[in-house]
Amino acid sequence: MEHSTPSSQPTVIEKVIAFVDERVGLKQMQAKMLNEPVPGGSRWAYVFGSVLLFIFIMQAVTGILLMFYYVPTADHAYASTQYIIHDVDYGWFLLSYHFWGSTAMVVCVFAHMSQVFLWGAYKPPREMIWLVGLALFGIVMGFGFTGYLLPWDQRAYWATTVGVEIMDKTPIVGDFMARFLKGGPTPGQMTLSRFFVIHVMILPAALMGLAGLHLFLFRAAGPAGPFRGTAEEIKAKTDFFFPRQIWKDIVGMAVVFASICALAFWEPVVLLEEATPDPGDYHPEPEWYFLFLFQLLRLKIFAGEFGQFLGAIALPGAFMALLAALPFIDRDPERNIFKRPVALIGWIVVMVSILLFTMSAIINREFLD
Amino acid sequence: MQPQLKSKVRCTDREIGEVTKVIVDPLSHEISHIVVSMNGTGERQVSMALVQTVTDDAVQLRNASSEVAALPPFKRDEYLSTHDVEIAHLEDNLHVTPGEVLVPFPELEKNVKRRTFFMNFTHVIGFLIGLPIAFPVLRYLMKPMFAPFDNGWLKIGNVSKIKTDDIGFQFKYKKKVKEAYLPEAEIEKNVWILKATPAVLEKVYQGKDMEFRDASGKSVWTNKKDIPYVAFSGKCPHLGCGYKWRQHKVLGQVFLCPCHLSIYDASGKVLDGPAPRPLDALPIKVSASGDVQIIDMEFKAGTKSQIRII
Amino acid sequence: MSDERDSLSPTKIGLGVLWPAFWTALPIKLAFALVFLAMDMMHFEGRLGLGFLMFLASPVTVFATPIITMGLESHIGEGAGIALLFLLCIPIDIWALGVVGRTYFLEKFRKEPPDGLGVTLWWKCAVVGAVFLPLLWFIVGTVTSMSISMAHSVFEMELFKGIPVAERISAELSLWGGVSVTVLIVLLLIGVSLIGRMIRSTSETARPVADSYQHVVTRWDLMRVPDDQGLMLTALTLGGVVLSMLFWAGLPVTTPHPHECCKKPEVKAEPPFKPLEALNKDEKLIAQLEGQIDALEKQKAEAEKDKDKGKGKKAASAPEAPAPKKP
Repeated sequence: MEHSTPSSQPTVIEKVIAFVDERVGLKQMQAKMLNEPVPGGSRWAYVFGSVLLFIFIMQAVTGILLMFYYVPTADHAYASTQYIIHDVDYGWFLLSYHFWGSTAMVVCVFAHMSQVFLWGAYKPPREMIWLVGLALFGIVMGFGFTGYLLPWDQRAYWATTVGVEIMDKTPIVGDFMARFLKGGPTPGQMTLSRFFVIHVMILPAALMGLAGLHLFLFRAAGPAGPFRGTAEEIKAKTDFFFPRQIWKDIVGMAVVFASICALAFWEPVVLLEEATPDPGDYHPEPEWYFLFLFQLLRLKIFAGEFGQFLGAIALPGAFMALLAALPFIDRDPERNIFKRPVALIGWIVVMVSILLFTMSAIINREFLD
Repeated sequence: MQPQLKSKVRCTDREIGEVTKVIVDPLSHEISHIVVSMNGTGERQVSMALVQTVTDDAVQLRNASSEVAALPPFKRDEYLSTHDVEIAHLEDNLHVTPGEVLVPFPELEKNVKRRTFFMNFTHVIGFLIGLPIAFPVLRYLMKPMFAPFDNGWLKIGNVSKIKTDDIGFQFKYKKKVKEAYLPEAEIEKNVWILKATPAVLEKVYQGKDMEFRDASGKSVWTNKKDIPYVAFSGKCPHLGCGYKWRQHKVLGQVFLCPCHLSIYDASGKVLDGPAPRPLDALPIKVSASGDVQIIDMEFKAGTKSQIRII
Repeated sequence: MSDERDSLSPTKIGLGVLWPAFWTALPIKLAFALVFLAMDMMHFEGRLGLGFLMFLASPVTVFATPIITMGLESHIGEGAGIALLFLLCIPIDIWALGVVGRTYFLEKFRKEPPDGLGVTLWWKCAVVGAVFLPLLWFIVGTVTSMSISMAHSVFEMELFKGIPVAERISAELSLWGGVSVTVLIVLLLIGVSLIGRMIRSTSETARPVADSYQHVVTRWDLMRVPDDQGLMLTALTLGGVVLSMLFWAGLPVTTPHPHECCKKPEVKAEPPFKPLEALNKDEKLIAQLEGQIDALEKQKAEAEKDKDKGKGKKAASAPEAPAPKKP
């Protein structure tokens, strides 16, 4: 990529690069990383993976900045969060960016999983990438759940209480898991400390490790490419990962960045009153991406102890197990979504159901008083 | 010239086969042996010492074919291929394959201008993503670093406590402090006040009223040089320790800092020790009834010039 | 290849041009939108999603939005920034439609794109949108409100009285949502097909291109590389720097939205608690109050004595000792 100047003397930068290249094989390594042919050419549909990486980096950066002022103790968590919102210069903006960034992450995770599913890119030989991806999905949900508690206002405290109670329904290990997360029988300082260390140390480490594995497995298998097109068409449009796909990735990142900033302006973070053991007039509710599950559990078929287990643990668990088994039960090499009616209809049904129950949860708010 | 794989191997009498493998010494990275096919009768490992000349398509050995055939047979399982072993830079100087394996550039990638354009475009967009947040992030981090000064007057006691001139009297007081989101707290501080005789007063003020200004240059307070009461900040200008009024063997009644033994006279002037400047005087107000008020200030320790920090 | 061309339905054409054009223009529009939001020049409140869609589809909504806003009394938001952004969308959309249009002509129609394709496509889209979208808005709005009330009345029936709240909400939503979304999708497809028809008629007069597929793809790919890269990139960087500085100038330092629901409570600093002092103070107070009570009792006793002595037994209500005031 570097074109040396017509004059014979190499520039300082060129000398430094040659120095490192001699020792490390930098040029060849760079070429191998960047010159990956993307069959059928770079596509905007492929940007979601890189965009997710960008969102994670931004969450890490804004999260670290928030930690300059936030303290995870029950007596100061609320006050320090309010301090960030009202007193620190641009603190409201960074906190709101962090908050809306988590929404963007969930939306992009859905988009990325949908794109991989619709393109059939989970089929052999890409089974392991899909499985690691499902683990990453779980980690992203974990981030959302643990981070939500940290401001320690009524919304945070009660959403967490309800969420952990749901996890308690898991057979055999449920009570242990719930007590482990709460650090006791009821939520308190121990809960806050545990959620903080999970959110800030354990999940980021896990995500970075698994994301690295995900990328490695992806490179080992190569990009799947489009699901239709003649060989001639695909060859004509093929180009390298660098620069075109990288450029599309960064434009995607810029769009997501601007969208998150716009959301921060539209609806900055506002805390309710500080958490107390008495919920008062407040009706507990989880974050929006858990609302569909929350609404599902209100249905009568999921009432009672067995019903709650069915709705909260068995059904979601079975669905995740189905997703995990997908590459192993769907062995048909056909990747064109329009020739896979079961897959297409299945995807539409799942998406519409999630949308339906999410909207139902929002409508249901009016009926709670 | 290194022996090329698949090139013919000739002995002094006849051709005995081709080079099927090349063996590299893992430490010196030099080619140590070639393996010759022997036309199917069993490969032999031949040391490079036996090689006379090497050309593009042939390797000439010094010996007769019978001598080569007498060498022990080649044992493949005593060797690893270079793909199965991690030896740094082993293949860098190996040129034993005649020719290369190539892959064509995709049609769209053949245009260099296109590649440079999108590379530069990517850099520009990356820069424009980082730029908007740089300024807010800096201000965010710097918020508590330069807090404005509190120039409130604090009542710390009454001068009736001071019985003698030119002797330091310690006044202890409490200051209310609110840090960020923490509830208001009180900290204990002290100052040294003395009632100065005109001689000592002259040494403190040196003929000028003492002006205290804020960052914009506006005057906060002026200590008039004829008021006999002087208040010194309780922190030693050397490194901030609390100092005392003591009787010194040689120098008499002095301010003495126990940390690094800085010694000041009654006017605050440095008599001995590592202090870079005299004791810091504070704004002081004494009412008719003798109530003393000061503005609590602190100054950077260890510097020659006086820089206010609190 | 010619089969593919014949099989290009108007809907496919419309979608194939509009969808990429919308998203091509979006990043630039977003940059301006962000600066306007930071400078408090526009507000969307509850209708952010709608506002986003209006700007995303600005080639067709640029004239339709004012018509809908004024004619049908439906506001997407407030602020001068909204009108300004629509104005800025015009050149951006012309450019985007030009790039996408030329790409589509070359690859799908295999025809030479005519000059000024961007402008042609833009004003035609804007006109179709201005006529069709308000109609669509009205129809979908009417159908939605009708189906909501119908769904309500269905579930008011005796047959369904027993259905619990959560199930009822989801069932009603499925009913009216299904109807509403179906009508919306059908109308959108009709609209897209109209645009596709319009684009196809534009292509009728264009010259065919005889090149190979590879050649055509390379052509539209390289069309995206500007002749003067340095100029374009420098202009972009400078523009971005200017927008960033406007952003910094406008960005509120402290949160711009204290909603009425959740104003920050006035945190009064608690005075530090000093136990010894508190004890001493309380002891003093107790002693003082005891003294007061003694004095009052004495007073009362003497008053009684006087009354008994002086005026005989009178049922006089004794003045009650005042309760000690709480500290």
